[in-house]
Amino acid sequence: MKKLYFVLAALLVASMVLTACGPAATEAPVPAATEAPEATEAPTEAPTEAPMEIDCTSPDYFCVGLVTDVGEVDDKSFNQSAWEGVLAAQDSGIADEVQYIETKDAKDYAANIQLFAEQGYDAIVTVGYAMGQATAEEAANYPEIYFIAVDQFQAETIDNVSGVIFNEDHSGFLAGALAAQLSESGTIAAVLGTDLVPPVVAFKEGYEAGAKYINPDINLIATYHPGGLDVAFTDPEWGATTTKQAIDQGADVVFGAGGKTGNGALIEAAGNEGVYCIGVDSDQWLSVPEAHPCLVSSAMKLITPAVSQKINEANDGAFVPGNHIGAAALAPYHDFDSVISDEIKAKIEEIAEGLKDGSIKTGYGG
Amino acid sequence: MEDKKSSHLIVRRILAWLAGLWQSLGVPLLAVLLALLIGAIILQISGASPVDAYSALFKGAFGSSKNLGRTLEKATPLIFSGLAVAFAFKAGLFNIGAQGQLLFGALASAFIGFAVKGLPPYIHIPLALFGGAAAGALYAAIPGALKTYTGAHEVITTIMLNYIAINITDYFADGPLKDTSPGNIVARTPAILDSAKIPSIQSIPIGFVLAILIAVGVWWLLWRTTIGFEIRTVGLNPSAARYAGMRVAFTVILTMVLSGFLAGMGGAIETQGVVGRYQPGFNTGLGFDGITIALLGKTHPLGVIPAALLVGAMKAGASQMQFSAGVAKEITDVIQALMLFFVAADMIVRWIFRIRSASEEKVILSGWAQGK
Repeated sequence: MKKLYFVLAALLVASMVLTACGPAATEAPVPAATEAPEATEAPTEAPTEAPMEIDCTSPDYFCVGLVTDVGEVDDKSFNQSAWEGVLAAQDSGIADEVQYIETKDAKDYAANIQLFAEQGYDAIVTVGYAMGQATAEEAANYPEIYFIAVDQFQAETIDNVSGVIFNEDHSGFLAGALAAQLSESGTIAAVLGTDLVPPVVAFKEGYEAGAKYINPDINLIATYHPGGLDVAFTDPEWGATTTKQAIDQGADVVFGAGGKTGNGALIEAAGNEGVYCIGVDSDQWLSVPEAHPCLVSSAMKLITPAVSQKINEANDGAFVPGNHIGAAALAPYHDFDSVISDEIKAKIEEIAEGLKDGSIKTGYGG
Repeated sequence: MEDKKSSHLIVRRILAWLAGLWQSLGVPLLAVLLALLIGAIILQISGASPVDAYSALFKGAFGSSKNLGRTLEKATPLIFSGLAVAFAFKAGLFNIGAQGQLLFGALASAFIGFAVKGLPPYIHIPLALFGGAAAGALYAAIPGALKTYTGAHEVITTIMLNYIAINITDYFADGPLKDTSPGNIVARTPAILDSAKIPSIQSIPIGFVLAILIAVGVWWLLWRTTIGFEIRTVGLNPSAARYAGMRVAFTVILTMVLSGFLAGMGGAIETQGVVGRYQPGFNTGLGFDGITIALLGKTHPLGVIPAALLVGAMKAGASQMQFSAGVAKEITDVIQALMLFFVAADMIVRWIFRIRSASEEKVILSGWAQGK
């Protein structure tokens, strides 16, 4: 028994010492956080952001919160792009306070939105098509808060919600057209996250249509990840094996579209001489440097500028509800700029124009 | 004299009872404490204040009646999956398949919830609930039968069957049972009818009350009935059970079926009380958490309740902790994993705190050692 008390006491002391010499020196131990945040006197040696000083319930401050889908803000693609849009609004001085919550359990979407709403946040960015229902419901509960709903198509207009959506099929089409022109074997591949997620399907259908637009006889090996939502975007090994199989079957351009699964495809393709690869969502030249040997471009959806634009609108009181169609385009060619002929570049330009004015249709979504 | 003696006896009895309580509760409590302490150290190293983080966690879990309701809501499916795992343990079976059974329960209850129309709530709610439980039970019968008739170890088969369950339920949610309402592009079933929804009274989910009752029922079954005695005997020593004339094969299958029944009912309550439909990705991990909870609760049906409440509170408070203290959401997973580690490796805890070992532990181990 004595020994037990000794060990317990030692552990407690150790934890207290560790707590005490922390960087963010918390002066009032227990009560501080249990009371309402505004009750505590502002700590003098506040770190960088001083969360206590900004009262989001006051109209003087404009606060922006972001709730992720079951993903993370450093995913090098989707959620990160949206968060960068929020950070851009902070850098330009529009948002006084920004904060994110990464959703751990899909059932918590509403609860996480409410956390921001109850703290008096003025605009909330909800990221991912899966949050559509929760966003619409909470928008009705909090009509004074602006909701920026990334990837959520709005069938009906709600006054305080703007769905930021993208024509993924357009950038997929451009990627397909590029792939078909670069391919010498006449076989191209697409390694995709799950078909349970509509934007992934849009990328794939666009890619296929774009490739056929250039070469109707092109052979496309398109494979969706067979697993559920919980693994489809986080399985780089599967992405790599599937890519290897496609290359064995003669594919010489690989389109990797599906978070880390797609990144696995790109990195695998990079290890094969004479194989090109195309990334997805953001300019993956910047996010996946391992793919530099093969990465000719990326089929992008420009989430960051669209999100920061909507935050500006909300701050100015000029918020436009309904659907906001963000730009979808090909990323720069980077090191392959000299490899890709002017002829191909001109063709891509031409198709991009055609998609914009509607003279070229991708055939996806009616 | 007489009085003094009897009071002395009472004191001794109380002491013995306390010692027994310490014997059974000591290791889980200390494991939780150790996990929280190590969690605090990790928080400290990652630059957050453990005090802020833990008080935010506490506030998020119990700070208001709404938060408390969420804690109970999160604990409910965990009680069921914890019971499923703990119950199978008593027969020496390690049911890793609670996740798959729970998914089938959730899907079946959603199907009954939206497809069967025109029933009053007092029929529709139990129908969907027991429909889900039956689906879980049937699915768990497969590994039970495989073990009995072929000797295939249930750990392997239930792990495999989890993957099969995930893909079959995904197929149904994106195929035959997909929500065809206009505007829906997501893989999910239609919403269940209001007559199948399990409500909350104030902020207390009815499902939670039901979970407590079922836990008591499982305790009663195990310790107050002949079947329970057979199950526990098979768990302790199958050869002796067979020698005593018990139906070992039957008991193994029955135990798996009842275990799956519990897990399936957990899935059904989740569908009817929380989600309102079946949607892939909304029940992730609930069955696996059952393993943590069963071990934390010393594989006792009533021990499962506080264990599930603890884990439920951490789940409910995690967002608040992220929001107020700027802590990565994974920290609650780390703490949960540490708790499991210390409970499972309770030799370490016993060694640190010098606790004598109880004979009860053999129940857990025999599941691995015994064959057919």
